[in-house]
Amino acid sequence: MGGPVGDPTPVWAVVALPLVLAALTYSAAAMDSAFHSGGGFVAPLREGVRLVVQQRRRTLAPDALLARIGVISLPAAALLAATVIPLDGGSVWEPPVSVVWFNAMEVVAWGSLWLAGWGVNSAFPLIGGYRFVAQGLAYELPHMFALITAGLGAGSLDLTEVAAAQDGLWFAVWMPVAFAVYLLSAVAMTFWGPMSHPVADDAAGGVAAELSGPDRLLFFAGRLALLTVAAAAAVPLFLGGGAGPWLPGWAWSLIKTYAVLALLVWVRGGFPVLRMDRFMTAAWMVLIPATLLQALVVGIVVVN
Amino acid sequence: MGLRARLLRFAHARPRAFVITAPGSTRTRLFVEAELRRRGGRPVASPAAAAMLVVCGRPGADLMAAVHTVWEDMPGPRSLVRLDETASADDVAAGLDLAARELADVDAQWADARARRDRGPWSPAGEDDHMFGSAHHHSASSEPDHNDHGDHGGGHEHHMGAPMGLPMAGRAPDRDGLKLDVLHIPLGPALSDWPAGLVLDLTLQGDVIQAAEALTTGGSATGPPFWEEPWLRAAAGEPVTTGEAERRRAACHLDSVGRLLAVAGWDNAADQARVLRDRLISGEPGRDLAPRITGFTRRAGRSRVLRWMLRDVGVIDPELAERHQLTGPPARRLADASARLSGWLDEVGAAMERLDDPAPLRETEGPRGPVGGRPGAAVLALLPGLLDGAELAAARLTVASLDPGLDQIAVLSGTTDGRPGG
Repeated sequence: MGGPVGDPTPVWAVVALPLVLAALTYSAAAMDSAFHSGGGFVAPLREGVRLVVQQRRRTLAPDALLARIGVISLPAAALLAATVIPLDGGSVWEPPVSVVWFNAMEVVAWGSLWLAGWGVNSAFPLIGGYRFVAQGLAYELPHMFALITAGLGAGSLDLTEVAAAQDGLWFAVWMPVAFAVYLLSAVAMTFWGPMSHPVADDAAGGVAAELSGPDRLLFFAGRLALLTVAAAAAVPLFLGGGAGPWLPGWAWSLIKTYAVLALLVWVRGGFPVLRMDRFMTAAWMVLIPATLLQALVVGIVVVN
Repeated sequence: MGLRARLLRFAHARPRAFVITAPGSTRTRLFVEAELRRRGGRPVASPAAAAMLVVCGRPGADLMAAVHTVWEDMPGPRSLVRLDETASADDVAAGLDLAARELADVDAQWADARARRDRGPWSPAGEDDHMFGSAHHHSASSEPDHNDHGDHGGGHEHHMGAPMGLPMAGRAPDRDGLKLDVLHIPLGPALSDWPAGLVLDLTLQGDVIQAAEALTTGGSATGPPFWEEPWLRAAAGEPVTTGEAERRRAACHLDSVGRLLAVAGWDNAADQARVLRDRLISGEPGRDLAPRITGFTRRAGRSRVLRWMLRDVGVIDPELAERHQLTGPPARRLADASARLSGWLDEVGAAMERLDDPAPLRETEGPRGPVGGRPGAAVLALLPGLLDGAELAAARLTVASLDPGLDQIAVLSGTTDGRPGG
């Protein structure tokens, strides 16, 4: 596990983190084009170049500052969340409650979408913003119960210790409900695939309807970065962290992260978009009781 | 070719196009969709996400105004492709080639950007006078940033001292007795996965529709509506086989299904429907296609999530259907959007079995209802009542699940804006 408390984070780790996140995010985009839209490994690069040189679309009377904050906060939140994820035993920054920090950064997305949707002064992005608020109300509680269940199983809210507590038996195996809900909420928090109603095409792209050029690039790269971080966090939370035979810890962490990421990216092709006026009932009537029961079972096992 | 041009060429190799279709130009739209797919691109949902604006057919005055508005606010580098309703597949490919060259033309793009830099974004003050002439057509544009203050036609909500000269949203009591902001938003005619020529003027509170009015914008296409063509030719005395007509029927339903799936957010399945549609139209033998189409209809029909999302959306009861004399596939499945989807899928299956039928075509029931009748008119008439109180997402699914063919109405009845298009 990481060095003793107080061990200074090596400088290279701080530099490497954004690079690793960027590489993983790019491979998520490449996987998406390989699975769904076609075009292979260079497709995201093409789109990136196109957006970098594209003009910014201007709307009448926007609140440009709010819209910019909304767009930039998305990749920023992903990067800040990534600081606490252990790759090879230790993470860049090791707060004792890293699970809480991860959750807090992921909630920043609520603000991002609402600000970006509101700030451009346009109807469809505003409706997209509303949709994400409803989505947040549906997924956030089950998501938090899933996180707490993993923390309860380990007796700690530190991701490194949660990973260490899964010696021999992954939490994904004996907390399957919490793991499934975590994956679902990872998709929901990144408004991805079946949970992409806030940016859905039926509202001309929703929150993103007016975003062009570098704004659009940051917004969608930020979303994929968040998806990547959510996949990476699943590894210490439910998949035993870097534990595994033969290979070093960081390699196992990467392999598992890629596996989860591939699953999350692939899922986009399989389902239509879930509308919250339908899904809300399922979230509150099924997912919340299910995660509470899961927490209860884990609690009983831990106490004994 | 300079470095910048090469970079632009690289970036635009897979075209991202916003497609606006005038009524009566279905064939051109199909060519465009197929050609975009061949180049690894696709139609996108918003002009901000596009580099090309593709206009299929010759729009009437109202639709032309919408095209103009969309084009004005499209960020550069950008290219406009105009294809009329008689364009062949080669014309479409040539048009897209030209657009690709234009997008990589650094000097032209700079000139374009400079020319409009100082014009600033759209504003109500900059609207042409003729927009005020047609009281019910707001900007006749679905362009989002114009919509939340799209009431400049009526002007009854204008307050003095409004910010940036914009009228503020007015307020009205909602269904729960609260006072909420009211927005007037036109859906269409420039909207992706939307029937060509349809405009829905919506009065929204939040994303709940308080009132809806259905209008059409015209085009000036010549020639018969694409989907009804075999039946019309048979009626004119030409020899047409049943198999040919059934092939067209299956393709028409697959087009509708693809649109509904796209609106439902299932791109993967929507793309599949469109690929199969284009292969049908290209005349591929039925025995090669049948297993694939069966696989697709089974996949789309079995999706529980899709059924969950479409259930109880846009429910048409017999009384309503009777009142508006609804005909065609929606009248055969009087229920919700989910039932209409399985109706289409079943009819595709039935049509596939008659693909090689050499008997001369006698029946007059076209893919959208009796050919020569105007099945789209009934759908237009019942839409406002159906959408009252629906959410925006449900409204879009309702329209897509009815997929009214407006080619006949918008073309044959002359244009509703009363002007021959240019």
